[in-house]
Amino acid sequence: MARCSQNLIDSQAVLEDYFLENESLPMEEMAVGAVNPLGKMDCIEDLNLMEQGPGEPCGHQIPEKASRIHEEEDAKEEGEEEEEEKEENELGDPAVLSAIHGAQRGDKGSPRLKAPSGLGMSPVSLHFLCQTMDYLSPISFRSTYPSASSPARHFGPQLPSPDPSLFYSPPASWPPRFSLPSHQTQLHPQHQRILQKQRQEQQSSHKHQSPRVGKLWSQKPDPYAGLMNQREKDWVIKVQMVQLQSENPELDDYYYQEYYQKLERKQADEELFGRRGRLESPKLVTPYIQKTEDYESVVRIEGSLGQVAVSTCFGPRRAIDAVSHGSQEQDSAIYNQKLQVLYRIEKMFLQLLKLEENQKGMLAKSYFYELQRKQLEKIYQELRTGDQDNSEEAANGFLQVLSVRKGKVLVARLLLLLPRDQAVHLVLSITSHLPFLIRRDTADQALHMLFKPMGKCINLLAFSELLQGLQGLMVLQPGSQERPITVVLQNQFGISLLYTLLSHGEQLVSLNCSLTQHSSSDLAAWTDMVVLIAWEISHMSTASLAEPLVVPSNLPSLFCRYVDKQIVQQLEARMDYAPVATDLTYLGKLSCPPTYQSVRAEVEEGKIH
Amino acid sequence: MNYMPGTASLIEDIDKKHLVLLRDGRTLIGYLRSIDQFANLVLHQTVERIHVGKKYGDIPRGIFVVRGENVVLLGEIDLEKESDTPLQQVSIEEILEEQRVEQQTKQEAEKLKVQALKERGLSVPRVDTLDEY
Repeated sequence: MARCSQNLIDSQAVLEDYFLENESLPMEEMAVGAVNPLGKMDCIEDLNLMEQGPGEPCGHQIPEKASRIHEEEDAKEEGEEEEEEKEENELGDPAVLSAIHGAQRGDKGSPRLKAPSGLGMSPVSLHFLCQTMDYLSPISFRSTYPSASSPARHFGPQLPSPDPSLFYSPPASWPPRFSLPSHQTQLHPQHQRILQKQRQEQQSSHKHQSPRVGKLWSQKPDPYAGLMNQREKDWVIKVQMVQLQSENPELDDYYYQEYYQKLERKQADEELFGRRGRLESPKLVTPYIQKTEDYESVVRIEGSLGQVAVSTCFGPRRAIDAVSHGSQEQDSAIYNQKLQVLYRIEKMFLQLLKLEENQKGMLAKSYFYELQRKQLEKIYQELRTGDQDNSEEAANGFLQVLSVRKGKVLVARLLLLLPRDQAVHLVLSITSHLPFLIRRDTADQALHMLFKPMGKCINLLAFSELLQGLQGLMVLQPGSQERPITVVLQNQFGISLLYTLLSHGEQLVSLNCSLTQHSSSDLAAWTDMVVLIAWEISHMSTASLAEPLVVPSNLPSLFCRYVDKQIVQQLEARMDYAPVATDLTYLGKLSCPPTYQSVRAEVEEGKIH
Repeated sequence: MNYMPGTASLIEDIDKKHLVLLRDGRTLIGYLRSIDQFANLVLHQTVERIHVGKKYGDIPRGIFVVRGENVVLLGEIDLEKESDTPLQQVSIEEILEEQRVEQQTKQEAEKLKVQALKERGLSVPRVDTLDEY
């Protein structure tokens, strides 16, 4: 076995010395040395992997030549070291160690590339090997970066070596200190503290582990550990960090930012509950760079039709915007109109997203409120009127927006941001055109996402406005026998909305017992409304009645008061009081209105599909 | 994780024994010595493990440099649990023979299938990529 390792040492030394010193050696020897590297490797493998005795004896003629070559090179220093290491370490391959030593001392200098043609390898692979060797012979190898820090630790006690800087791993150096210039990595001070803490933890855990792990590994310390030194690891990390740089992390790295904020919130809550020792999780902090280059997303060449796809390094193939900048198409009016609606929705959505982003970012700056208000106003105007001044046309435009799924999403999110009056205005126009919207929604089934924000707005309705909304449902449409309410009752969203309205009305009425609060005509109208609605519900077959999303708990009492027993019975049969409307009663109580954040979060997460 | 919280990195896997599955279906086991930003790997004392049924055989291969894009997955091997396997190790010749037999049976089954399809007037286009195994 010793002989085998001797063979290996020599052939290895030959290879390494060649590349490091680049002396041209006699051709046949080099060919021999180069041609059978794998054979030598096999020998090592047998030794190390199989953990058995000596592998097959290697060829005999090779060691002789190899040893001759070995002596030709600077055999003195390396020979001495190899003797030492051979004694200490039976299984390892000291040749590689010696190569590292030699490289470390920096006396080899940079390898010049010279590829003798007799060698079994092509110049390309030689070059590559030289480059890998470069890693073994870094430019300046200082003791501040002990290369075998973490990996060597993993394998238990270090093998005593003549070069302590290579293999000794002071625990304090792991995890490694960042050698990167400060403008590239900004480690949060908390991050630094965490790293230090972890270092200590690792030390203590390692002390725990080492008796157990050490037992396993004391027979086999890993001499190849640390081939990749700390500098190289830092380099790889640096490259990876560079790739993570962005000037808008909220956009580029949305999910990680959200996750981290959620984590922080959870930790803050835990701290609130009095749990001491708040576990601070580290955050990835990447430097924010200013992208100086500005590129045009859409390139228009004069006289061409349409847009040109320009490929830059930011986007290999820029998608051509879906918006037409050119002249309007005159052919199909309906097609054009549909496109116009979609275009409007897109424009408003972009404005809405910007608004929401601002709101998320800014905490409590007064002048931003002003800015937000203006932006909101703009979106609202866009939604309401488009280009029209006529209110009929405006309503039409609004309804067209609502007919598209994305438009519903837009309105749902916008409703939460709008001031009361404008929100109420929108809600009322929705309720008055409910049958139309229901009919248009059969394909999408997306009206449900409007329910929550509308519910919130309904609770802000004044009594007169509420009546206005309900009356819209009862008005007999010209040219049809039935009231809109029948269609509404058959639709889940419609019936839920109706119940919400009734519940709110009941609340308003019951809260203010004095009749002077509301005009008598209003109350009369309200009573009529309730009776009519009750009648409609009771006369509709249970099968065609839709299952509401939520049944407010104050409805039975409402009906009991205004309607006679017979109808109440029928109502009870139809309305399941089982799903307890915790949401709605909570909302209805008006004691603490739901926070903007929570409702909005729910809208975004739950309802928007 | 220590270096870059919230990310995955191979830095902590250095000098540990790994099992690497390549795109051409080979399974390599070796010590991960070096990486780069493309996840090119340098495996040391690598062994190519061939699995046939409950048997496996190891072919020692030496040092491997694997281009990152050819790696399907890799995972650290727990050295304590490594020997804790129901699989039976056999010699290289035996496993190669087993593999050959398995390939043969597969090919014959495939031929029968193609024949049956042809009789019914259907034809399955040959998949010429290497990713099928």
